[in-house]
Amino acid sequence: MSHAMAVGQGGPMDPPFPAERGVDVYNKKLGMWVFLASEVMFFAALIGSYIILRFGAPGPWALPGVVLNIKITAFNTFLLICSSVSMVKAYAAVSDGDVGKMKFWLLMTILGGACFVGIQVFEYIHLVERGFVPAGVREGSELAEMVAKGELPGATMGLYGSTFFTMTGFHGFHVTCGVISMLFLYLTKALPGKYTQQDHAGIEVVGLYWHFVDLVWIILFTIVYLI
Amino acid sequence: MATTTHKHPPYIMIWIYLAVLTALELGLAFEFARNWTFGLKLTLLMILAIWKALLVALYFMHLKFEKWNLRLVALFPLPLTLILLAAGMSEHIW
Amino acid sequence: MTTVAASPHTGHAHHDDRSFVTKYIFSTDHKIIGIQFLFLSLFFLLVGGILAMQIRWQLGFPGKPMPGGGILPQTMAPGGVILPEYYLQLVTMHGTFMVFFAIMLLLVGVYANFIIPLKLGAHDMAFPRINMASFWSAFISGILMLSSMFVADGAPRAGWTMYVPLSARHDYSGVGFGQELWSISIIFFGLSSVLGSLNYITTVINNRAPGMTWFRMPLSVWALFITAVLGLLAVPVLAGAAIMLLFEQVLGTHFFDPSAGGQVLLWQHLFWFFGHPEVYILILPAMGLVSELIANGSRKPIFGYHSMVFAIVGIAFLSWIVWGHHMFVSGMNPTLGSSFMVTTLLIAVPTAIKVFNWLSTMWRGNLRFHTPMLHAIGFVTMFTIGGLSGIFMAATPVDMFIHDTYFIVAHIHYVLFGGSLFAIFGSIVFWFPKMFGRMMNEGLGKLHFWLTFIFFNTTFFPMHMIGMAGHMRRLYDPTIYEFLRPVQPLNVFISVNAFLLFAAQIIFFVNFWWSMFKGEKASQNPWEDNGLEWTLPNPAPHGNWETPPTVYRGPYEFSAPGVTEDYLPQNRKLPTDREPALSPAGH
Repeated sequence: MSHAMAVGQGGPMDPPFPAERGVDVYNKKLGMWVFLASEVMFFAALIGSYIILRFGAPGPWALPGVVLNIKITAFNTFLLICSSVSMVKAYAAVSDGDVGKMKFWLLMTILGGACFVGIQVFEYIHLVERGFVPAGVREGSELAEMVAKGELPGATMGLYGSTFFTMTGFHGFHVTCGVISMLFLYLTKALPGKYTQQDHAGIEVVGLYWHFVDLVWIILFTIVYLI
Repeated sequence: MATTTHKHPPYIMIWIYLAVLTALELGLAFEFARNWTFGLKLTLLMILAIWKALLVALYFMHLKFEKWNLRLVALFPLPLTLILLAAGMSEHIW
Repeated sequence: MTTVAASPHTGHAHHDDRSFVTKYIFSTDHKIIGIQFLFLSLFFLLVGGILAMQIRWQLGFPGKPMPGGGILPQTMAPGGVILPEYYLQLVTMHGTFMVFFAIMLLLVGVYANFIIPLKLGAHDMAFPRINMASFWSAFISGILMLSSMFVADGAPRAGWTMYVPLSARHDYSGVGFGQELWSISIIFFGLSSVLGSLNYITTVINNRAPGMTWFRMPLSVWALFITAVLGLLAVPVLAGAAIMLLFEQVLGTHFFDPSAGGQVLLWQHLFWFFGHPEVYILILPAMGLVSELIANGSRKPIFGYHSMVFAIVGIAFLSWIVWGHHMFVSGMNPTLGSSFMVTTLLIAVPTAIKVFNWLSTMWRGNLRFHTPMLHAIGFVTMFTIGGLSGIFMAATPVDMFIHDTYFIVAHIHYVLFGGSLFAIFGSIVFWFPKMFGRMMNEGLGKLHFWLTFIFFNTTFFPMHMIGMAGHMRRLYDPTIYEFLRPVQPLNVFISVNAFLLFAAQIIFFVNFWWSMFKGEKASQNPWEDNGLEWTLPNPAPHGNWETPPTVYRGPYEFSAPGVTEDYLPQNRKLPTDREPALSPAGH
């Protein structure tokens, strides 16, 4: 049954009606916020462990920029922020009724996200080639020589590798899931024109997830790459 | 209240804001703060990162315009995170 | 039943053209999913029980060949004699299966799913397909966990708490791939739990029938809601920790490796940060369910409904800041230890409030000692004992002596078996007619209760004593210690009673399965209860109500003045009732 009612009058993006007053948002949006609360705790475990391990580390940590490539990651950060902007522009477009613009901005978001993942994979490959792995520094590699020469603190490289790859790896996994979900929605709902001004719940909800992923990266970039 | 029909926040302005803050962070980490203490750099960088995160949360994720109970759902995990961190770090403060 | 303004969510109660597969296997109906969880979790309860029987054999009769032990592989139990390696697997997997796959799934998987939409007057959960995904993730998780017992070198041996470095290093534990399977299984379990929690939370917040205000919700729903919040925020921390453990096991990371700067206590902090809210997840739903059973059996409103709600919230709030009481002897910062002692002692207060309120509910009530009521009273008494032993442990100086002894094991089992499991048994009997349309046999139910109650106490009470005498946990052969020889006869006594306790469960098993097919057909409201679920036929139809019921009062209006029956359902409109103020979408 389709309801050609404007948003705010009992349509799919309104609280379930009739029902007791909840938080005055529709179920999918509330559900996504609740899910994001659990994701905060998940990243809190990983990022919190990094902070605790680094705080209690037996020696100095490697200086920023020595192991990790700041230029590429700074660009990647900017890219992710841009994709967050394009996401919110897609949402703004469809809630103002401009479905065409929404499709364009959604596609830009997907491309931005996919590029982010691609660049991260490239970064990982480069790091592994130089000898940086989850277990720390690989024997006989370029980074191992730097440790031997005293340019990198051997005592904490194991922790550095473990925490770096786990945190950024799971963030990258979340970005990938976001890209796949957006692609799925783009192909099955956005392109066939199923999103309208009255019903664009999917855009808003996937947008919330995408912004969250961007938010986590903003924190990660600072405390992993810049400190 | 259903999804909003108010005017959208100025997303492009927020984007520029975020870009500027990111540039500031990079500058702080590598350029003009070479002789500052680690503690000071850390504090300033954390402030900048949290500022950026708040911009995303409040404007892009629309939290500034949502009801207090939805904001509660979003904010609830934060004190728990701090408790976990405080306990874990307290093992090393003496 | 009132009709309400046309909504996009009209029920689908009348036209059910689903195939067998979509109706019973890949079902999105919360009631079927609840029943699926019931079968899955009862299976794992049996698995956990069988593991316990082997543990008790070894402790009661160390070194003797176990009857039926011949089927075990030679590497685990040559000639039926349990080896230390196998014994450690038994204690680890008994804990793991019971905590995660039996109690959590029975309390949350079954009752959150089955009860919440029915008691709120909703058609189904907010996200039925996510609900289905939650069940099947739990199923996969269970299969993975079960398979860890059958791979080369068997199941993990580090205890259900998986302390590092024993759990992280294959060369320390002697375990092979079973170690990784535990971690992977827990990650899937975490996913299932989070998906479930977000469903329950959204449904309770947003999908309550008109008139069902927050303070008219039954206490079982309150308890399940708060439990879901605990699970939502605690389980992801376990998932993160399990991922770190998995990486430690397979990728050679160094999170917990002191020789590379890692911290052993980090695991304990992460695990127990999850672990303490977890134990409240294991008890709060049981408390909520027991409130329903006691109100029903006393034919009286729950005493102090509001304080019961605030007690649940208070317990949940405090549960985040007590986890260190599991770590008093770990070597953690002593100041931290003192703070945890204070908060742990505090958490006894809201818990005690609940116990007093249950007792006050029963006081001068028109008591009906049906099977569910017996189990509920069993819960209150046994949980109180378990709670009192908890006070001992909360005091750090005392815990220094009793940590990792059988005193702790006694406490765990008094709260989890004497507490949660009695509540579960009572609830299964109570909601059986709603699930299957038939009554369980009352005679067998009472017999099962009494035998279980007696053998439960004779099995677990003596554990307090041997624990005080210094009997350690996870101990393969107590007889090698001179100081434990005097208590070995108690070990034998415990084991014999444990076997009898297990045997008594056969009565429940037979009752359950026989009644499902041959039990007396149930009337619509056989317990004369007030919950909204009893206004539906037995078993309840797909989609529950065609139009949502309207709620006029709270859930415990037993023996209410002005009506002839001694119960008054929430949706029955009396001439003095007003319609609730609906919240139209465009306000």
